[in-house]
Amino acid sequence: MGRGRSRLFSDLTLALLLAATALPFLWQLLTSFKPEADLLRLPPFLPERWSLEHYATVLAHPGLARALINSTGICLIATLLALGVGALAAYPLARTPLRGQRLWLAGILGASLLPVIALVSPLYLGIRLLGLRDTWLALILPYLALSLPLTVWLLTAFLRELPREVEEAARLDGCSRFGILWRILLPLAAPGLFSTGVIIFVFNWNEFLLALTFTATDASRTVPVALALFPGIHEVPWGDLAAASIVVSLPPLALILGFHRWVVRGLTLGVLGQR
Amino acid sequence: MTRRPGAWPFLLPAVVVLGAIQLYPTLAVFWLSLERRIPVFEVAEFVGLANYRFLLEDPRFWQALGTTAYFTVVSVGLELLWGGGIALLLHRRRRLRGLLLAGFLLPWALPGVVSAKMFEWLLYPDGGLVNSLLGAAGGPAGINWLGDPAWAIHAVILADAWRTTPFVLLLVLAGLELIPHEVHEAAAVDGAGRWRGFVHVTLPLLAPVLGVALLIRTIDALRVFDVIYVLTGGGPAGTTETLTVYAYRTFFGTLQFGYGAALAVATLLAALILAGGYLRLVAPATRPAAEGA
Amino acid sequence: MEEAPNKAELFRARPARLGAWGLLLAGLLALLLGCRGPGAPATEGTTLTFVHGKVLGPSDPLPGLLQEFEARHPGVRVRQETLPSSTDEQHQFYLINLEARTPFDVIAVDVIWVPEFVRAGWLRDLSEVFPPGERPAFLETPREAASVDGRPYGVPWLMDAGVLFYRVDLLARYGFEPPETYAELARQARAIMEGEQDPRLAGFLWQGKQYEGMVVNAFEQIWANGGRVLAPDGRVTVERPEVVEALGFMRRLITSGVSPGWVTAADEELSRRSFNAGRAVFHRNWPYAIDLFEARDSPIRGKVGMTRLPRHPGGERVSALGGWSLTIPRGSRHPEAAWELISFLTGEHAQKAMALGAGFKPTRHALYQDPELTRYQPYLPSLYPLMQAARPRPVTPYYLMISQILQPEWSAVLVGIKSPEAAVASAKVRLLHLLGQSR
Repeated sequence: MGRGRSRLFSDLTLALLLAATALPFLWQLLTSFKPEADLLRLPPFLPERWSLEHYATVLAHPGLARALINSTGICLIATLLALGVGALAAYPLARTPLRGQRLWLAGILGASLLPVIALVSPLYLGIRLLGLRDTWLALILPYLALSLPLTVWLLTAFLRELPREVEEAARLDGCSRFGILWRILLPLAAPGLFSTGVIIFVFNWNEFLLALTFTATDASRTVPVALALFPGIHEVPWGDLAAASIVVSLPPLALILGFHRWVVRGLTLGVLGQR
Repeated sequence: MTRRPGAWPFLLPAVVVLGAIQLYPTLAVFWLSLERRIPVFEVAEFVGLANYRFLLEDPRFWQALGTTAYFTVVSVGLELLWGGGIALLLHRRRRLRGLLLAGFLLPWALPGVVSAKMFEWLLYPDGGLVNSLLGAAGGPAGINWLGDPAWAIHAVILADAWRTTPFVLLLVLAGLELIPHEVHEAAAVDGAGRWRGFVHVTLPLLAPVLGVALLIRTIDALRVFDVIYVLTGGGPAGTTETLTVYAYRTFFGTLQFGYGAALAVATLLAALILAGGYLRLVAPATRPAAEGA
Repeated sequence: MEEAPNKAELFRARPARLGAWGLLLAGLLALLLGCRGPGAPATEGTTLTFVHGKVLGPSDPLPGLLQEFEARHPGVRVRQETLPSSTDEQHQFYLINLEARTPFDVIAVDVIWVPEFVRAGWLRDLSEVFPPGERPAFLETPREAASVDGRPYGVPWLMDAGVLFYRVDLLARYGFEPPETYAELARQARAIMEGEQDPRLAGFLWQGKQYEGMVVNAFEQIWANGGRVLAPDGRVTVERPEVVEALGFMRRLITSGVSPGWVTAADEELSRRSFNAGRAVFHRNWPYAIDLFEARDSPIRGKVGMTRLPRHPGGERVSALGGWSLTIPRGSRHPEAAWELISFLTGEHAQKAMALGAGFKPTRHALYQDPELTRYQPYLPSLYPLMQAARPRPVTPYYLMISQILQPEWSAVLVGIKSPEAAVASAKVRLLHLLGQSR
């Protein structure tokens, strides 16, 4: 039995892959501590003098904190709405005979395949007519619409993985269709729900083009736009940018760390609930 | 078609949202592609399919299409292998899984524009980490990652794959979690070895999720923009210019909104064809998990 | 096989659930609508919206200046909207916003956009408000670049002209004077590189990435050889030996090793940083760089000289004009107050503050001899003739489209995919198509 060896092998592989994945990020971290003049002196790879000047600049930057709040709020609301609407739509689609399902999914997906750059102008016109420029809603609505197809697709796939017997048993017990979805299927599919939620959240978090066009001031500016504002007309302050990148990735990081426990819990609940 | 009346209330919210927010812009783009519209110069005339006829003969379009295809195939392949592999390794662990998962999801925590800048910084030809490491190890003097036609597309693929692999990782991991333990145990009892168990039991059960990941990543790769635009702007000499980058330049650089819209529609069609292919070829092979059991 | 749902049950459960969802949504919406930013000012008095690119520098003097302006004009407030510095992003932002008639009051516009925006009818004519007596105080070229048909549409706010930086110490060591011609430059660079025996020392750094900055470099080389892409009367004159030679020279800089291969990935910052770290002899960039070279912890502090860009035989020593002008969009609801703001920001006091705090190079003649400014920036008087000799890129509403045609063609030459002859022929075809068709 090579169990011990195979575990060592998999551990090593994981460690290597992790190092490769984290390398650009680690480099950004190191860069953020290097004083401006040393930025391009390599070797040495580690900073000779550790400096907090970049973090000082970044944290003194008034817009960044507000951008974090805006981004978190906008993305959270858009994600929750997408999950809600998406779960509702995914339920019948997951249980439909295959031909109709394919048509519906194709239709929903097809609606969203246009590159965003083509949609910016007409969308902006609508935003302006509704007087929504520079508000949270100006981004929440498009984000909801843009992430809905992906949500529906993913949730349909996750719901399809679930066995039907549970559902049929509940139906015999007299549960309504909505009740089946709400009380039985969604808890069972919790890992899928949370994964989808995280995916949508990050997708919204990263969105740049619409955020750039529809926001104007700190009132609604999101993180990617705030970061794009770091370089000046001529210069790119790599050190400051590095520090800002680190600061700005802390909330999603926290979300991811927190999210993992929910996945485990959802799974445990599902297993327990099933038997 | 869903004939049961009970399905409609569930589908309605989604239809309303999409209809209200996305319908008008989408139709506007389709209509725009039939016009010759140049904002600043007040050119706005209906030209029917002229834009599409031009598109078919436009060498820059075909080059962009080829670049996009290459980018998509390599990038998605890389992500599936990399992300799927990590998911498999992570799935079997109990200890430190949360921490490791967070580590692997790190690239995703950054906005695309920022991670592109990060790679630009890493790949700085004179003084960037990669070239310094290569130099220290006695390798070639300094690779022109973003300025050499041979390297640029691959640098861009790497940057994009690095950023989006967590998506695949997450999906596959969740899909793995949903497979009941009993399935694995039953396979083990039946005497299937690890590898056999994986190929004949796990993989088919994962197929729906893998298929979705494949499809969505392909469609996203078709429409990639931020990373390429920040890193190379479509250069050098247009060798990293994908369809979306070309469309962007057409819209906002040359102001030809009509032709830009046609390019966007062409991208949409390409994505639809791929999606259709997926639904026809891959989807029938995937059946809901418990049905065959 | 599914059974038909029990309609009664469906009916019973639905209202409660839907009601709960509806309430939740309504609550969220209410929260959101209340979450509008401070964009809707409850004012008496005027609020001006001032849109401009991000100002970076040792200290941003703009907020202080705006406060001063508000103090001098009671009842007027200025709301800044900052844009990312990338000119492409700003252009696209303005395109979408000005098409949709978003009511901005003052916008900072790149010199190359003015003809385009004027053609679109987005900018106000300033002839009435910009006193003719005050106009000569500004340098001619940027002023003309901000005018169409002799009518001013913008007031120059900051300006740029291409400059050749060189290492005074290295040239002195080998007994060289700053080069007059590019051939001399290449010769000097090679001699110094061989003499120094430093594998990391490059000869000549410039911008060769596929973007507008590279087109600027190419224009400077073409003009230095006496060529033109567009003649002043609008004819396409790109397929000429002078242009082919100039492009060939740029490619040879790379193949001969005077410039490292990675200049094809270099923009202003990438090339500037290398020179700043002491790893090059010559460098072409905009004047902003000198402030960074002379910064306190710069490795090349005190070792940098500035001079005009060299020429080729048969050409002249000329730089490309860059910079930004302040304009009033047609959608502005307070054009008089907007003009006051422009007048203030382009006045001597404000320009001095921007020069000291943000490295903006002034657009007024007088400031280049100003004793206070020259104390902190002693290179200003020597920069003055360079600024005066700056030449604008083709002043036409089609300029951005022209640039989009030239970028991939020139880039193909620089990386060796196309010969200069082929690139120039291809560019000519496309330019004719563009200009002929839209005329």
